[in-house]
Amino acid sequence: MTPLQFERTYASAWQAFEQQLAALGKSDGWLRKRRAQELPPGPDFAAAYRQCCELLALARDRNYPLYLVERLERLTAEGHQYIYRQRVFGLDRLASLALREFPRMVRAHRAYVALASVLLIVPTVLLTLAVMRRPELVTTVVDPTQASQYEQMYSRDAESIGRVRDADTDLEMFGFYIRHNVGIAFQCFAGGIFFGLGSIWFLLENGFFSGAIAGYVVARGLGGNFFPFVATHAAFELTAIVLAGAAGLRLGHALLAPGRNTRAQALAIAGRDVAIIIYGVVVMLLIAACIEAFWSSSVWIPVPVKYATAALSWSAVLLYLSRQGRDAD
Amino acid sequence: MLDPAFRVETPEGIELELQPAGLHARACAWLLDLLIRCMVIYIIALVTPMLAGLGVGVFLILLFLVEWLYPVAFELMPLAATPGKRLVGLRVVMTNGLPVTVGASLARNLLRAADFLPVLYATGAISVLLRHDFRRLGDLVADTLVVHAPRPASVALHQDIEPLPPLRPLGREAQSALVRLATRAGRINSERLDEVAAVAAPACGPELRAGPELTRRVLGVGFWLLGGRRE
Repeated sequence: MTPLQFERTYASAWQAFEQQLAALGKSDGWLRKRRAQELPPGPDFAAAYRQCCELLALARDRNYPLYLVERLERLTAEGHQYIYRQRVFGLDRLASLALREFPRMVRAHRAYVALASVLLIVPTVLLTLAVMRRPELVTTVVDPTQASQYEQMYSRDAESIGRVRDADTDLEMFGFYIRHNVGIAFQCFAGGIFFGLGSIWFLLENGFFSGAIAGYVVARGLGGNFFPFVATHAAFELTAIVLAGAAGLRLGHALLAPGRNTRAQALAIAGRDVAIIIYGVVVMLLIAACIEAFWSSSVWIPVPVKYATAALSWSAVLLYLSRQGRDAD
Repeated sequence: MLDPAFRVETPEGIELELQPAGLHARACAWLLDLLIRCMVIYIIALVTPMLAGLGVGVFLILLFLVEWLYPVAFELMPLAATPGKRLVGLRVVMTNGLPVTVGASLARNLLRAADFLPVLYATGAISVLLRHDFRRLGDLVADTLVVHAPRPASVALHQDIEPLPPLRPLGREAQSALVRLATRAGRINSERLDEVAAVAAPACGPELRAGPELTRRVLGVGFWLLGGRRE
């Protein structure tokens, strides 16, 4: 069969397949994505794709001219994308993530989570105690102007706790918290790629920093303002930072001890697992920023109520991570 | 291996070829994205003060979205590329050639924080330079590749050549070489074409010297092998 005969025989089939692909491409827009998924291309689509594969193999084997092989390669590659693409997020997938996959994945990484907790909590406690005894130690971690800024944030006459002087609204602080906290958590995660050292470093650093601030504020006699402020959102924020750090440690561990895989393979496998943890981290940080900006900072809420909500959110977070989705374990 | 092509085997046993994008293309795309992002942030900074009290808050939230979610959002669209990558002609795919998934896009873009260190994506650049598939750390974790988008397929150039049967039977490789020459003749300048065609003289016109006449005959044989016949 000459190339031209080959082309004439199958041209109409290729054209039909090209049109099907073009139609799919159109219905695959941003908003109509779900509809396209619900209406998968018919059985003739798969048949046309398989025929393309066969013809491509033939065309390559027979050394047909480049334009024919390229056309078939293109058709096959595009068909391959549609036939084997992974379903994107639907509502059912989101529900399964929240109800099962995320807490299960966290439990599957409990050793990393424990290590990350220790790396964050130990320096926090140490520095809190040290700075409470000798407030001047705060300057080892925080520079003096920053320290006095924090002191002013939690002072008794602040109209809204935990707010920097020039911030006008809760929404502004929400924006600030989002950027700041998400940045810290993402650093804790991304640092893990350097054999886990980055995660360890950022966890320790944040532990030292928050310990120093807490100790300093308490030493200045502002603990009564500080603890009700941080207690509630810390349930989400600290947990999220620990989880991000744990995800980073997993990456580092995959690089250090890839087992029977190559390092690149081990990293890709770890990446697939920790992506699920990162979804949860992002949501938890959003919740934390909402609470921090709109609830924790409110002066009108009585302190006992704040402590009660803090107890509630801590137990909710811990129960969710330790219990949710167990039946599927 | 100088050929950076990345081959993916489909379940049908077909090998598809991806062309991973190197440092230069990716740096250009990143610079374009940086420009676009700066412009967007500038516009946001111009507009948000109109919201009075809420302005700064909205500004910071939008800044956060532009900083972290701009690449993720664009990579999950059908073209799988940020505007900068689109302009350079790149796109992001999984290493099995399939569209990038949500988790992978999130992972590779969060890892930018690591690739950026210590300055200006130095870590990412070193990784790209060292690997034959040009992946930065984020790509390794997410199992993704940045590839050149497929070029539009080349077209066959059927000039008005009279098909001529070869003077003697030709082997498989010789046949395909002549066919390829015939379908690409329009892209080669005529002097070079004459030179190349002279190689095929024994099968097309042993009595002729390199020149337009021999070239016409060689292309005619190529066209005949392609399947062209006199009407």
